[in-house]
Amino acid sequence: MPTPAPGTSIERNGRQAIVHVRGDVVVGTARKLHATLRALQRRRDVREVVLDFTDAGRLDSAGVAVVQLAKKGLGRRRTLQLTGLDERKQAAFELAPAPTKARKEPIAVTYLERVGEKVLETGASLRALASLVGSTLHQAMKVLTRRAKLPAGSVGGFVVTMGADAVFIVGLLSFLLGMTIAFQGVVQLNKFGAGVFVGDMVGMSMIREFGPMMTAIVLTGRTGAAIAAELGTMKVGAEIDALTAMGVSPVRFLVVPRLTALTFVGPALTLMAMFIGIAGGMLVAALQLGMRAGVFWDRVVGRVGLHDFTQGIGKSFVFAWIIGFAGAHLGMRATGDASSVGTATTRAVVVSIFCIIVVDAIFATITTLGGW
Amino acid sequence: MTAPLATKGVSVGYDKPILENIDLEVKQGEILTLLGGSGSGKSTFLRTLAGLTPPLAGEVFLFGESLYELPPEQRAPLLQRIGFAFQQDALFTSMSIEDNIALPLRELTKLPESIVCEMVRMRLALVGLEGLGRRMPSQLSGGQRKRAALARASILDPELIFADEPTAGLDPVVAAGIDETLVKFRDALGMSVIVVSHELESIRATTDRAVMFAKGGIVAAGTLDELEQSHEQAVFEFFHARSA
Repeated sequence: MPTPAPGTSIERNGRQAIVHVRGDVVVGTARKLHATLRALQRRRDVREVVLDFTDAGRLDSAGVAVVQLAKKGLGRRRTLQLTGLDERKQAAFELAPAPTKARKEPIAVTYLERVGEKVLETGASLRALASLVGSTLHQAMKVLTRRAKLPAGSVGGFVVTMGADAVFIVGLLSFLLGMTIAFQGVVQLNKFGAGVFVGDMVGMSMIREFGPMMTAIVLTGRTGAAIAAELGTMKVGAEIDALTAMGVSPVRFLVVPRLTALTFVGPALTLMAMFIGIAGGMLVAALQLGMRAGVFWDRVVGRVGLHDFTQGIGKSFVFAWIIGFAGAHLGMRATGDASSVGTATTRAVVVSIFCIIVVDAIFATITTLGGW
Repeated sequence: MTAPLATKGVSVGYDKPILENIDLEVKQGEILTLLGGSGSGKSTFLRTLAGLTPPLAGEVFLFGESLYELPPEQRAPLLQRIGFAFQQDALFTSMSIEDNIALPLRELTKLPESIVCEMVRMRLALVGLEGLGRRMPSQLSGGQRKRAALARASILDPELIFADEPTAGLDPVVAAGIDETLVKFRDALGMSVIVVSHELESIRATTDRAVMFAKGGIVAAGTLDELEQSHEQAVFEFFHARSA
C-alpha cells in the first residue's frame, strides 16, 4: 500500500481502500492528500476508494480540487465515495462543477501558415499606414484651408517637448561627432599633406549626412518612442475610440499636431546640429593644426554648395515624417493589453531607424549617380 | 474568537479627513455592506481596511494584528489571508483569464500545476465563466471581467474578501449572478465579505449588516431592517427616496 500522508491512514477492505483524512486539507497541506490519492489510483487492485472526512479539519478549494482530480483519475470503472462530511464540507463539494473531458489542444500551426499569416499581417499593416498617411494629409489640408482646426496650443506644446527639450542632447552629440570626424580627418589627411582639407571634410559630412542622421536618431529615441507609447496607451484605454464615437477625427486631433510639430522641429534641430558639428571640427582643427577659425570656415563655405545644404535639410523633412508616421501608425495599432504598448514602442524605434538608414542610402545613391 | 477585522478610531482621507474616528468590527462569515453617498469616503475606507491606504489616525486590526504597525514583511502574510476585488477589475491585460486567476496560487503556494488548474476550473465555474478561461480580459464584457476579478480575489479561499462596487454598472441579471457568488463565498466557504455598494437590489440580496457613512462618520449601523426603519436623513433618503 502507498504510504499515507501524515495525519492520513489507509484501511484495506478487499478491493476497497478507505482513506481516513485527519487534519486540515487546505492550500498548504492539500498536496499530501493529492500524493496519497495518486498512489491509490495507480494500484489496479483498488476498485473503490472511500474518503472518510469524519476526523478532518478545515477543507478549502484546494482540498476540493484534490478530490475532483482523484475522481477524474479513477475513471468510470472505479468509484470514489465521500463519507463523514459535515454541512460546510458538503456545501464546498456542491460548489465544484462536474468533471469535464480533457480539452482539445489546438492543432499546431505549420511554418508555412506562420509565414502566410505574417505576410497577410504585413499587408494589412501597410494598408493601414497608407490610410493613415492619406488621412493625415487630408486632415492637414482641411486645417490649412481653415475647414478644421487643431486643438488649441497643441503644436506649440509639442514643439517645446520634441524640439526645445532636445536642443542640449542634439547639440552635445553633434559637437562630439564634429570633433571625432575632424580628429580622424586630420590624422588621415596629414599623411598626404592635405590637413587643410579637414574643413571640407567636416563641412560636407555634417551638412549632407551626419547632421540629418544624428538628429533623426535622437528624435527617434525621444520623440518616435513617445508618440508610439502615448497613442498606444490611448488606444488600449479606448480614448481613441472615444474620439471616434464623439465624431472627432483621431488623426486630426492626435496625429496632425505631432506631425506638424515634427515638420518644424526636425529641420530646425538638423540645422543646429550641422553648425554645432562644424564648430566641433573647427575646434579640433585649431588645436591639432593651428588652423584659424576664419580659414576653416572659408574651406567649409568654399566646398559646401547650396545643393548640399538643400539635400541635408530635405532629408531632415523626410526623416521627421518617417519618425512621426512610424510612431503614430504603430501606436494606433496597439491592441488590448499593456504589453502591446511596449511592443509598439520598440517597433516604432526599430522601424524608424531602419527606414531612415534605407532612405539615406537611397538619397546617397541617387545624388551620387546623378552627380549632385 | 478574534474578529477578522476591526478598526479603532480610524480617520481616512487625503489632505484632510473624509471620515473620522471610525470604530467597526466585522464578524466571521458575515456580509457587511458599506453605504454612503458619492465622496463619503467608503472606497477610501475600504482601501484602508485592506492595507492599501494608511489611515490618517487610528488603528486597523486585521486578524487581531495592528496592520499598519507591522513591518512590510510581517504584513504580507496577513494580506495573503484577504482578497480584494477592485472597482476597475484590475486584471492583468497581458494574461489570459486563467492565468490571472492562477497567479496567486502560482506565486504564493507550492501546489502542483494539476491542482492549480483544477482550482481555477472550479472557481471559473463558481463565478459563471466556465469555458472562458483562455480568453484575454479585453475579450470579456464588463460583467465577466468583474466576475473574473472576484474569482482571482477568492482563489486562495481568503477569510475576508473586499469588493468595491462589484455590481456597479451591470445589468440586473449579471448583478444577481455576482450577488449569488458573494453569498456562496459566505455560505459555502465561510468567508467574511465587505462590500461597498450603491445598488439597492444587490444590497438586499446579500447584506447581513450595513453601515451608513455620512457627515464624516457612521450615522447608522445594523441589519437592513433596522436601517430601513431609521429616521436618520441620509439613511432614509438612501432607502426611501430611491424606492419612491
